[in-house]
This record gives sequence, structure tokens and C-alpha cells, in this order.
Amino acid sequence: MAKSKQDRYEQIKRFESDLSQCMKCGFCTFWCPVYQEERLEPSVARGKNMMIRGLLAGDLEYTKEYAQRLNKCTLCMTCTANCPAKANIPNVIVAARADTVKARGLKFPYNIVYRWLLPRRTLFGRVVRFASWFQGIFLPKTEGTVRHLSMFLSALGKGRNIPQIAPRFLRQSVSVVNKTPKGVETTMTVGYFTGCMTDFVFPELGKHIIDFLTRNGVEVIVPREQGCCGAPVFLGAGDFDTGRKMADTNVKAFEGLDYVISDCATCTSSLKDYNKFLADTPERKEAYTKFAGRILDISQFLVDVLKLPASAYKPSAEAKGKKVTWHDPCHLNRHLGITSQPRQIIKSIPDIEYVEMPNADRCCGMAGSFSMYYYDLSKQIADKKVEAIKSTGADIVASSCPGCEIQLIDSLLRNKVPVKVMHIMELLA
Amino acid sequence: MFDKKLVSELHKIVGKDAVLISREDLNAYSYDGTATWTHLPDVVVLPTTADQVSQILKLADENRIPVTPRGAGTNVSGGSIPIKGGVVLCTTRMNKILDINKTNMTAIVEPGVVLHDFNIALAKQGLFYPPDPQSFLGCTVGGTVAENAGGPYCVKYGVTKQYVLGLEVVLANGYIMKLGGVTVKNRTGYELTMLFTGSEGTLGVITKITLRLIPMPPASKTMMAIFDDMVVGGQAVSNILASGVVPAKIEFVDNFVLRRIEEMTPMGLPVDAKALLLLQADGSPAAVEAESQQIVDILKKSGAKEVKVAKDASEAAMYWKMRSAGFAATFSAAHTVLAEDVAVPRDKLAEFIQKLDEISTRTGFFICYLGHAGDGNLHPSIFTDMRNKEEFARAQQAMEEIFEAALSVGGVLSGEHGIGLEKQRFLKRAMDPVALNLMRKIKALLDPNHILNPGKIWEEERV
Repeated sequence: MAKSKQDRYEQIKRFESDLSQCMKCGFCTFWCPVYQEERLEPSVARGKNMMIRGLLAGDLEYTKEYAQRLNKCTLCMTCTANCPAKANIPNVIVAARADTVKARGLKFPYNIVYRWLLPRRTLFGRVVRFASWFQGIFLPKTEGTVRHLSMFLSALGKGRNIPQIAPRFLRQSVSVVNKTPKGVETTMTVGYFTGCMTDFVFPELGKHIIDFLTRNGVEVIVPREQGCCGAPVFLGAGDFDTGRKMADTNVKAFEGLDYVISDCATCTSSLKDYNKFLADTPERKEAYTKFAGRILDISQFLVDVLKLPASAYKPSAEAKGKKVTWHDPCHLNRHLGITSQPRQIIKSIPDIEYVEMPNADRCCGMAGSFSMYYYDLSKQIADKKVEAIKSTGADIVASSCPGCEIQLIDSLLRNKVPVKVMHIMELLA
Repeated sequence: MFDKKLVSELHKIVGKDAVLISREDLNAYSYDGTATWTHLPDVVVLPTTADQVSQILKLADENRIPVTPRGAGTNVSGGSIPIKGGVVLCTTRMNKILDINKTNMTAIVEPGVVLHDFNIALAKQGLFYPPDPQSFLGCTVGGTVAENAGGPYCVKYGVTKQYVLGLEVVLANGYIMKLGGVTVKNRTGYELTMLFTGSEGTLGVITKITLRLIPMPPASKTMMAIFDDMVVGGQAVSNILASGVVPAKIEFVDNFVLRRIEEMTPMGLPVDAKALLLLQADGSPAAVEAESQQIVDILKKSGAKEVKVAKDASEAAMYWKMRSAGFAATFSAAHTVLAEDVAVPRDKLAEFIQKLDEISTRTGFFICYLGHAGDGNLHPSIFTDMRNKEEFARAQQAMEEIFEAALSVGGVLSGEHGIGLEKQRFLKRAMDPVALNLMRKIKALLDPNHILNPGKIWEEERV
């Protein structure tokens, strides 16, 4: 039976007010990182929105070209932040991706990765481990830290500088319950959403975060049942069905915990986005809304909840005496509105000189699967970020999104700029 | 379907990456900033050199294919819509600033340079290019020249044509012609540079622009005046100009737009105000001090309920941000927004506003306005829905009355947006028939096969 029109545009219809809000002024061309490189109307929010309107009007179909143009967006939200009509076109784009997947299906190999691998954490781990055996043969190894299997796979054969897959994953190295050390009073208990990248690539960062928190009176629970946040699946690929399974898994894994912290801006934002995109029943709506209220970015947790005194922030050996600049991940800045907390932390660390980079909030061009489909474009966007970092004369660029960090590591190496990329928590002893 | 052979010819000229033919891509070049017009092109070409533009035009001219030049497509006249299909020649990739000469106070740019990028580059050298259409974040310099665009700064500094010193234009037959020069004075023959400035892409494709610059004014001050009556506000503008002081900008925002802006981005605006004037004085610090005092005095004497002077740059920026949100506030208010661009003599502003009120009462359409009061250029807008044929026809009728009202006080059809598709049906009545005929002859001389932006400015009917 043929699908009704309503079904074909089910998700887009939910965001119809965003769709109709755009009045085609074209101001987004100035802000869109993709348009700035390509100077093509289909790249920018206005063009994509008109393409989706064209689909609804019956002028366009779910073609390969349509799907490709939908994919060509980093969801950085710079258009929306600067839109005089506040039209949230990224919402429409994610919804349109979902309808497109329903209409066209997911193509190999993404169907395998998204539907089958990412939702199965242990198996996913084995595949990553297996792939890591070949890393030294096929790829230049780099020093530093990374995060997603899909990104990792995508980078194969494309010459990207990939941080090494960790010899032992985080889940294999820490307990479920991590208590405060002797003599430190436990003031609260939090769940730690480790995300794929910290788990598989940056386990040292995860261990350090647990250590830092427990030393400061926070008991840290790392539920084994947690999985991927789902960002590449429901936001990137538009596979809402699989996204729901992953969301349900994570909601269940963190049941009963007042706070769930994350060191990854993308994970944090995606966990909070479950309600907006995936809530298809009243039960899910309630569960996802409650869950979202408990999710906190690590810097937000330290500053707003734990309210650590400045004296708690001491420089790590690697950061001591260094000049540090901060890169705002899109998911932290525009998606969550977190800009002051990380800066406050860095500025509080003694023996570190903070320097603000120009356009610190500009997208780095990583955007998960975006960089998989459009690696060259992603590199062009990143090169502007590299210029900004270079202009500060900083020794270290800190951020709090492993996706951004991979991109920065790759781009700085490619441009032979000797600036170290660190997670904000790695600046702290 | 566009001829495959022609597509492969275009590939040879600009390369495959710069030729778009998929239905999805064509869709993205079927519209501009207006609400009422769309039409698909058959192909989109993105050249990077004048030589490529020349080859494209030669090819199109030989094959009698319409060519619609387009910058960023932020225009609000329908001017960049490929109403006859054919080729959209998009200049967004010709975006190099070729020269900024601080001593000669000139710049040479390619047409695809974005206006705001240009002013950022100029500011680094203490220079300034005043014409500021409110689409400056998106619009290209080439587009502003082709439309002879203006904006708030034009009260004091004039419109685009006052800054164009020279052009490189590719003619319909592919010839790359140079006009004007880099001197402020130039009395060599007819002012052909001005012929192409404001030609809306119907006479040639602009590929290089030489512009006159001015020094960045060292100081400025922003004022906001609140009025209980729009006519009183209009009279205040005339009083200021008659007093001998020329503010850099005088902008007018009505109650409706004010409320919409506050609704979209709350910033504590006086939503009860019937009309609001935004003014800016600029120049040397001493002059700014004296002029702004004079402006405040006149505003108060003219019946302003309240006058606020922005205490610092951030408060001033907030006021102007509000003004630039005006377009969005208006255009997102209804399914179809018909926005007029009439300009009236500055001493007739209050009279014209009075007439708008009468038209609104008579036709039953709410008319909102927002615009450049200082140069008599208002944008009266009517909200309608083009899907409702009967109402839409009445709305267009009301628009016609607005236009007649402007003409009756000595005004013109378009202040800064151009004729494009939006206003062509009024052109006959707004121009001397002999002048109109002369324009047609010029068009026929320069573009005998009518390939350049066909269907624009005048209604169908060839010479």
C-alpha cells in the first residue's frame, strides 16, 4: 500500500513552524561555514529550507541528490543564532533526514554501522579493537586523543591523522562505582556518560575525570549498560528508529541518578535532544524530558552545581606555564548555551595564561558523519579554525568535544602547527 | 531539459563543478528575497573570471538563451529570478577584493564580494563605504551596483551611484568593456558607468567595480525618539532636515514592526509607541556632540514624547540591531507580504503618511511601514495571502493606491529596490513615455537578442 503524504513527511511536519519561519533574506549566507567555502545556495540554510519546501510542494522527490544536500550541513546552528526571524533550520534538516531515511532506507555501509553496530556496545568495542590492530599498518598514528567508531572507520583510507585506539578501553579499566578516596567526604553521586570516544580512544581522560571528581567529593557511577549517545544515528543519519532504541538504553542505564555528566559536548547535547526528535509516545516524552533535565556538561557541573572554589583548579604538568586558548564546540555553545563556564575554569587555573581566539565559536567542520561524506570541505572549514588558533600564539587549544578535538588534531598536524589539543579536564591536575 | 550539448560547452568554459543542473540545485536559484515570485532556471553557472563570463554570454547570445545575472539573491524586486528560465549566471565565486588604496581612497573589487566582508576589510584601514542596504550580510557588491542600492546611511552619504567610479562590464556579445577610471573627477564623454549602475542586469554583466571610499567617521551617536502620532514623527524628520543639520541616518519604525521585533527578540522596546525614529549623528567628536544636541532639541520641540540618547556603543548597536530585524519582522508576519519601496520628497513625508492612513481605512488593509525616513524612502507593506486570489487582487489594488499617493506628492516608484518584476506594471505611469522608449532603444542596442535578464523592468512588448 502506498504511504500517505502525511507519513512521507511525518517528521518535517512536526517542525513546520521552523520551516515557514524563513523569509528568505539570505543573511545566513554570511554565517554558514559550508556556504562560506562553497558559495553555493544549496549549501546554506535558506537553500536547504527551500529544497524541503519544494519536496512538500511536490516539486522535488526523495532523490540521491536531495539526500546528499541534506547531509551537507554541520548542524552548527550559526544560522539560527544569527537569524533575524530565529528560524531553526537545523531542526528541519534533522527531521528531513529522518523522513528521507524512511523513504529511501540507509545505504551500505552506514546501515551496518548505525543499525547494527553502534547500538551494541560490547560488539562495537570488539570491532574497534580489531580495527586498531590494522591502524599502524594503514594509517599515520598520532599522539593525542579521539572518539567515534563511525568516524574512525570513515577516516580509513582518507589520510586523516587518527589518534591511536586505546590498548584498554575505559569500560575495561574502571569500576562501576568509583568512591571518593579515604578522608574525602562524599557530597554527591553522579552518573558518568563516557561516550564512545572517551571509552575507546581517550580512556586516560575518562580515568582522569573520575579521579578529579572523586578527589573533590563526588562519587562517580559508570553504568556498564550505557551505549552510544546516538548522535551519528538520529541527528547525522536521520535513523530515528534506531535512535529510540539507543535513547531508551541510556535512559534506563542512568535511572535513579540525579545528575549525569558528560565530557563530550555532542553527547551532552544529543542526550538532551532525545525529547525534541525521538519522543513518539507520551511515555517516551516524559522519560526523555526527565532525562534531559539531569544531563550536564562537565564544566557546567563543576561551576554551576559543584561550585568548586578557584583553589580546586590546579594546572596539570602538561598545561603548567602554558598559553591556552579555547575552542567553543557548537554543541556546547549554540546548542546548550554554555560559554562562560569553561572560560571561567581555564581562567581560574594558576600558571596558565588564557588567550581568547578570534571567532572561537566558529564551527571546526567536524560534525561527525558530515566529515565522512565531505572530508575535503571539512578540511577547508577547519583550516580557518587553524588560522584563528595560530593567531593567538597559544601552546594549547582546549575544548570539550572529542569530535572537535579529532578535527583539531588532524588539522593542526596537516598544517604543521605545533599546538597541542587538550580536553579542558586535561588542563587540570 | 536543457540541451546536453550546451551543458557540455559550459563545462568546457567553467569546469564541471561550476555548472549545476540537478533539479535540487536549480530549485535553490529559483527565488530571491521577495515572497511572490519563483521560476526555475535550466542551468546555473558560477564563473570566476571575466573571460569565463564573456564565453558564457557569447554561447548564450548565439543560442538565444536567457541569462539572469545573480549575486547572493538577497534582492527584493524579483530582479534575480530567472523568469524566462535559461542560465542563472551567479557571481558569488568572483569574490576577490583586488585593491584597497588608502591614499587614493578607492577600492577595486570583483562583483561577488559580500558587502559586509568588504566593509570589514576597509575598517582595518580606517576606511568606509557608506551605501548600506540592510541585506549587507548577504548581498554582493555587484548586486548593489546593479540595483543601485541604498540604505540608512544614504541620508548623509548618498546611494551606490555616488561611489561608482569605474566598471568592467561584459556585454551581451561577450565583449569585455572598461568604463570610467579611478579618479574622483572624470568628464570623458557620456556617463556610461551610470548607465550600467542600476541597470538590474539587463544591459551587461558587471565583472569589476572601482569604488570611491571615505574615511571612517571617528565618532558617532545614536538617538531614539518616541512618538504618539506617526504624522508628528514624519514632520519631525522634515524639521530636522530644514534646520541645517544632516544626520547620518534617520530611520522610521512603526508600532506594528516595533511589537514584532520585541516579540521575536525581546530587548525592552517601548511597545506602546506609535512611531519610533532612530537617528545617528557622525563625524568628529565635537561636531557629533553639537549636532546630536541640536537633533535632540528639535525632536523635543517637534512633539516627541521621549528622546533617548544611547549612552555607549553597545546600546547604540542594540538600537540598530532592532532596525535590521525590521525586514524579518515584516516579512515573517504573513504568508505574502507586499512591500512597496516608494520614495517621496522629504518635505512631503508627513503628508504621505497621512495619505497611507487614509488608504488603509478605505481598503481595510493594515499598512505597516518601516524605512529610511531621512531620505523619504518608506517601505509601506501590506499583509495578504496570495493563495486567496480575491484578497490578493484587492491587496495589489491597495498597493497601486499607495503608489499613486506617492506619485501625487512628487515621489517615485522605487527608492532603492529597483523595478525587477515587482514594479514593472507601474513603470509606464511613472515615467515619461519618451524616456521609457529611449530606455528600450538602449536595451535593444546593447542586447539585440534580449538574452540579458529578460522579462525585467518593462512589461513584455519588444521594440
